[in-house]
Amino acid sequence: MKTLEIRNLHVNVEDKEILKGVDLTVNENEVHALMGPNGNGKSTLLAAIMGNPKYTVTEGTITYDGKDVLAMPVNERSIAGLFLAMQYPQEIPGVTNSDFLRAAMNVRSETPVSLFRFIKAMESTISELQMKEDLAHRFLNEGFSGGEKKRNEIVQMKMLKPSLSMLDEIDSGLDVDAIRIVGDAINSLREETGMSIPADRNWRRRSTPKAMTGFTVNLMCCPQLKRKAQSVR
Amino acid sequence: MTMTPLRLNTDIALPAGYSEYEIDSDRSLELTFTADTKSDVFIRVKRADHIRIRTFVKESAEVSFLFWNVSGLETKIDESYEVMKDAKLTIAMGECNESASDRRTYVALRESGAEALVCSASLVQSKKNYSMNVVNFAPHTSGEMRNYAVVLKSGVLMIDAIGTIVKGAKRSENHQTSRALSFEDGQKSTILPELLIDENDVQASHAMSIGRMDDDQLYYMMSRGLTPQQCTTLISTGYLMPITEVIDNDELREKLAGEMERKIGELCSM
Repeated sequence: MKTLEIRNLHVNVEDKEILKGVDLTVNENEVHALMGPNGNGKSTLLAAIMGNPKYTVTEGTITYDGKDVLAMPVNERSIAGLFLAMQYPQEIPGVTNSDFLRAAMNVRSETPVSLFRFIKAMESTISELQMKEDLAHRFLNEGFSGGEKKRNEIVQMKMLKPSLSMLDEIDSGLDVDAIRIVGDAINSLREETGMSIPADRNWRRRSTPKAMTGFTVNLMCCPQLKRKAQSVR
Repeated sequence: MTMTPLRLNTDIALPAGYSEYEIDSDRSLELTFTADTKSDVFIRVKRADHIRIRTFVKESAEVSFLFWNVSGLETKIDESYEVMKDAKLTIAMGECNESASDRRTYVALRESGAEALVCSASLVQSKKNYSMNVVNFAPHTSGEMRNYAVVLKSGVLMIDAIGTIVKGAKRSENHQTSRALSFEDGQKSTILPELLIDENDVQASHAMSIGRMDDDQLYYMMSRGLTPQQCTTLISTGYLMPITEVIDNDELREKLAGEMERKIGELCSM
């Protein structure tokens, strides 16, 4: 069973300590909602797990499936099964979604993914997320609306099939219908792969991922995330 | 389609449709092209000491040149283009070889309705020096320069891009964009965007950027499993590849795109 273990995690951003000793365990097939007010370090925790170079881990450990995550460069964390759907996905002009995703799928596979298989998977995922058909040929996130960028994160997640997906404010910028579409897509991948999901939410918003079922709420509040508050079914 | 070799000084009347040539000469070469119809021209530059090119684009003609430099030696090219009434000219320079280049390009928009687009895509690993001047001599003419370069370790890029609008060339346009992207320290890029305008009723602009690849972009791409080298290759390819689109020939475009990807992959891994 793949488990994410975080112990006594301290994280600095530009010499300011944001996380001051976080403990968290996420087991396979679990969904956790990280909740708390703005500025309490929910996004920081996810970014530190993924290895964003702007965040410096000063103390503590993160292991996934028994491997030391902190010793891995960002790309190896991804190949190990970690995925972060970002709050502000980057725009990469000149690089098409299909070239990017195919390259990302190929690094996970010993033999290159066949073009036929890739196109079929891409078309099916685009249709599931109800995105425009030309998505594959558009440059990565360039000129996308906020909602399109978020849905494109889920397209990537569905194509790469990570074993642990971290969703950072994935519902911001999505309208009601899009939240349902994204929620369904996340749930279907979860059923298919048994992936675990820590998701970041601002606790004041009412629409806590209702679309996702069976999640554990972790309160991100001072002093830090220490207690698992409740399980919601 | 067979590639016509160019080894001696030659005058060429460009045929309609697609044609391709290979410059392979152990001495200096003078070439004169004349276009009076719609022509797509691919020129592979394999070897020459010093190349001089003169081109006349006659009234209402439409010609696109794609120069693909594969020379292993330093290339010197002096080229001038005369674009007449309602004619359209596109010049694309693919400079992805490892050798130095010194290229001087002069485009004269002689009569009203003349249009020209000069673009370059360079993967710079040695010294690439371009001087280009697009001159609006007549009213209602339009010129544009687009230069994109990826500068690798020990590469030196120099672009002097001049847009000139002479007095009397009313309602003319002259625009230019130059961008140089680098991935690490040790490269040198100099871009001089210049607009020399002697007429009031015109539109002109210049845009220029020189910079490293954005760290946030690199992190985003790596977070999906790509190595830094793969990110560099993908971004460089996306940056330079549009140059192949000036020629309306899918087969050639695919071939060049593959060649460029391979070359970028090789150079970015060094």
